[in-house]
Amino acid sequence: MPPPAATNLGYTPPDGGWGWAVVLGSFISIGFSYAFPKSLTIYYKEIQAYFSVSYSEIAWVSSVMLASMYAGGPVSSVLVNRFGSRPVVMVGGVMVCAGMVLASFGTSIIHLYLCVGVIGGLGLAFNLQPALTIIGTYFQVKRPLANGLAMTGSPVVLFTLAPLNQFLFDSFGWRGSFLILGGIVLNCCVAGALMRPVNKAVQPKPKLEPPPCDQEDPAANANAQSANLLTEESQSEGKSERCLDKFIDVSLFKHRGFLIYLIGNVFMFFGFFAPVVFLAPYARHQGIDEYSSAFLLSIFALVDMFVRPATGFIGNTKWVRPRIQYFFSFAVAYNGVCHLLCPLAEGYSGLVVYTVFFGVAFGMLCALLFEVLMDLVGPKRFSTAVGLVTIIECGPVLLGPPMSGALVDKFGDYKYMYYACGVMMLVPGIFFFVMNYYNYKKLDEERMQSAAAEMRNSEEAVELKMNPVEKIAYETDG
Amino acid sequence: MKLLWAVSALLLSCLRANASTGPNIIAEPSEVVNQTVAILSCNMTESSLPIKGSHWLHNGQKIDTSVSEDSAPFTTLRLDKITHHSSGKYECVFVTEPEGKKTIEVKILPHVSTHKHSEHGNENDEAELVCDGHGYPLPTDWTWFKEVDGGKTPIINGTSDKYEIKSTPNKTTLIINSLSIDEDIGDYICSGTNELGTTSDKIHLRVRSRLAALWPFLGIVAEVIILVAIIFIYEKRRKPDEITDDDDSGSAPLKSNSNDNHKDKNVRQRNSN
Repeated sequence: MPPPAATNLGYTPPDGGWGWAVVLGSFISIGFSYAFPKSLTIYYKEIQAYFSVSYSEIAWVSSVMLASMYAGGPVSSVLVNRFGSRPVVMVGGVMVCAGMVLASFGTSIIHLYLCVGVIGGLGLAFNLQPALTIIGTYFQVKRPLANGLAMTGSPVVLFTLAPLNQFLFDSFGWRGSFLILGGIVLNCCVAGALMRPVNKAVQPKPKLEPPPCDQEDPAANANAQSANLLTEESQSEGKSERCLDKFIDVSLFKHRGFLIYLIGNVFMFFGFFAPVVFLAPYARHQGIDEYSSAFLLSIFALVDMFVRPATGFIGNTKWVRPRIQYFFSFAVAYNGVCHLLCPLAEGYSGLVVYTVFFGVAFGMLCALLFEVLMDLVGPKRFSTAVGLVTIIECGPVLLGPPMSGALVDKFGDYKYMYYACGVMMLVPGIFFFVMNYYNYKKLDEERMQSAAAEMRNSEEAVELKMNPVEKIAYETDG
Repeated sequence: MKLLWAVSALLLSCLRANASTGPNIIAEPSEVVNQTVAILSCNMTESSLPIKGSHWLHNGQKIDTSVSEDSAPFTTLRLDKITHHSSGKYECVFVTEPEGKKTIEVKILPHVSTHKHSEHGNENDEAELVCDGHGYPLPTDWTWFKEVDGGKTPIINGTSDKYEIKSTPNKTTLIINSLSIDEDIGDYICSGTNELGTTSDKIHLRVRSRLAALWPFLGIVAEVIILVAIIFIYEKRRKPDEITDDDDSGSAPLKSNSNDNHKDKNVRQRNSN
């Protein structure tokens, strides 16, 4: 029984085989996309001294990189829709490499903004979207597991890059390190090479690729034969909308599930990253020494690393999969509760407990973040959807930590920031629960209506089309 | 008249002198120079003033363990291991009206230390070597030497563009411009001198070549190219086994121009001509 809203592929995704190599490729791409900007902060002190700039000017490099990464989302989606995942990822890898190599010869901070920030960020955007999209084309049944595994790339790469960056810095200085990092990031091209476009013709199937905008291609409505095919529920997207599909799919804004996801996420992201950013400073504020505070982050990353595949696995089980949106809502709300309870943590052991719980919450949320979007809009429109989501999320993601920082500065106490973050995650969590309940109900109703409609259609068609010359047999699925 | 003025002025000054000097304190020793152990003592002589207690100050900060409510007119402080931390100005204070204090200076050779024992610099860039001075009295003179063939050559400020020395009593910085691998690698010695003598410390400078990072980079690029090539070749080898997937029109003999199944789900049609 196909899960809702996901059956418009028209072919059977392999759910294995080369798919696992694709998961590895996505693991690498996603890992670099998320971990790379964070790990560069190790060099900031030296670069700051070298160019004699203030701390905030150096921090702009990160902000520009993150902004590029999110703003490049729609561009990336368009390219993926047009060319497929593989070329986009390889181009992205080359771009980040070129950006880092150019930056290693940099003579001013503006140079760094452009090379690392703009070019690097854009290249990482070209890595992130296609990596997420291609999983949807290769997996259907095991998709939550594949997503969970791929998203594990982020903590794993961060965990390896952090000490590696320190070592490179000690051995080569920041310029040499940037050069070598450019090489390391070029491995995204290897990841891209793994992302072979899925073979859609192995099983005979109805044509699915949208026709070029200027032609009506009857082949698009071709028949299918043989068993167990998931045919599209809609040419109902309409041919006029296929043209828009190639660019920004504005019709997504009418999609109920997408809107729920978007609204909830925009609020959620205000409180999403700030607790991570402030974990170590909060620990130091409590009087804990620097090394133990940094160790908290390591605990966090380690827990995160193991929770993500586990969440993917749980999301795949037959009890959770059909109602995976509730699992996601639970993860969001759990994050909120964690932050609200954080100020109660006393001393170092209390903070360790909080870190472990937070690691679990964060890992669960990240593993499911894109899986639920895929579940809502379906793999075909996922690429465009994720592009739109990232560019709209750009605002909260960039504003969240500074706003929380302002809260801390104003009150002089971290607990208000944690309360604020907790609320900003708990409210969307509850929102998700309620709206998804409503959404599931509506989806079930729609499915029953269309099942009834197709029964009627097939009866009429049998009457109309039956004639001695053409023998057309209709088989309907139950 | 003038005589009267002179006598009264003398008397006044005597009075004032008596009032401002307060109780007379004898400090023993008057000064500690280059010792590892010392016992400082203060003795308040000819005092009719009531003594409510006494304590010691070290560089202006009260030493909590020396506070005593004893009304004895003498007090001692024992210094067991005099290092640059414990050197400085010690003051014994008697709590009287007015307060009686006396200062004993504990002097030691300067303690010179470097931030790191080994510094890195990049070719053609500049390097900064820093030495700190601690102790009392702080070094008044700083000199830098470069160790050449076992001997020390002094580095003189201002003789060339290459070296620049900036010194304050507690810190000295040597800036070396346009680092070259041949000339500048080696040990550098900073010496701080105060009235008692001189101490030094050594820093080793390493210069990284510009191209040092290039070889790993090229190695990684080569690895990427090889891996990508392997993946593509593997894929081309498998291709003949599979139907090509980008040839839309060719592999679809089953065309239908029926548009009724727009809303149909799970409908399969077979059309045979």
